[in-house]
Amino acid sequence: MSGHRAGRITDDEISELISKLQSLLPESSRRGAAGRSSASKLLQETCRYIRSLHREVDDLNNRLSELMATMDGDSPQADVIRNLLRLL
Amino acid sequence: MRGPSARAFQQGFLKNLILSLQACGSKARVSSSGSASATMSLQERKRAIKSSADIAMATARGGGARWPRAILASPPSSSRPWKASSPGKVRARSRKIVRRCFRTRRSRDGTGGGDSFARTRSVVSSSEIARRLVRKRTKVLRKMIPGGESLDEISLLQEAMDYVAHLHAQVDVLRRISNAVQ
Repeated sequence: MSGHRAGRITDDEISELISKLQSLLPESSRRGAAGRSSASKLLQETCRYIRSLHREVDDLNNRLSELMATMDGDSPQADVIRNLLRLL
Repeated sequence: MRGPSARAFQQGFLKNLILSLQACGSKARVSSSGSASATMSLQERKRAIKSSADIAMATARGGGARWPRAILASPPSSSRPWKASSPGKVRARSRKIVRRCFRTRRSRDGTGGGDSFARTRSVVSSSEIARRLVRKRTKVLRKMIPGGESLDEISLLQEAMDYVAHLHAQVDVLRRISNAVQ
């Protein structure tokens, strides 16, 4: 996909990339931030967001693993998991 | 990331995750029933879960980005090195650097106190400070994206977007599953 680019990335492409990234970040980080500090702010918000996503993923994975470990094989929850695996 | 590709990723991820969690669980159970020595410690277990999830996410993502290959290529402990620096520490370090810029100018002049800001601005411009901040934060971002160390800035941003979108999808499906089986 990068093969079609003859020279350097254009300013337009960079702006588009930045606004796409910005649209992935939570609402609260989009206030103001025009001008010289917007690049570093964007990077900072991205790192913060990734950190919080990592934390959340860890919490959820640990919780799910505990649920599965203590789940009785005959319970309705175990059925949910089994059906899920069959559907996937 | 919308619709069918999100769903395909979530399904693949969930399947891989559940299968490897089940494997973790049964390993723990077998060793606890079979021997006097303890099962995996809580730390070990958490690490195993984390690495299962990372691998599940990477294999479900497939070949369209670089971070999955970085996760699969490196040992589990190094796929998330960000924990070394808390957000507070990073902010404090940035502030320290800015302060150091002002302090250096002041001591060279032999002047102290109040008005050094106006004087300093002409030597260490605000745009230079902004550039340094961007460099610093780019470094931090590199550590957070698997495989980010070797990427140019544009690719780093593209990888970051892809990685964030998939982390988001992961959280989404894990939340729904947790609610379903509770």
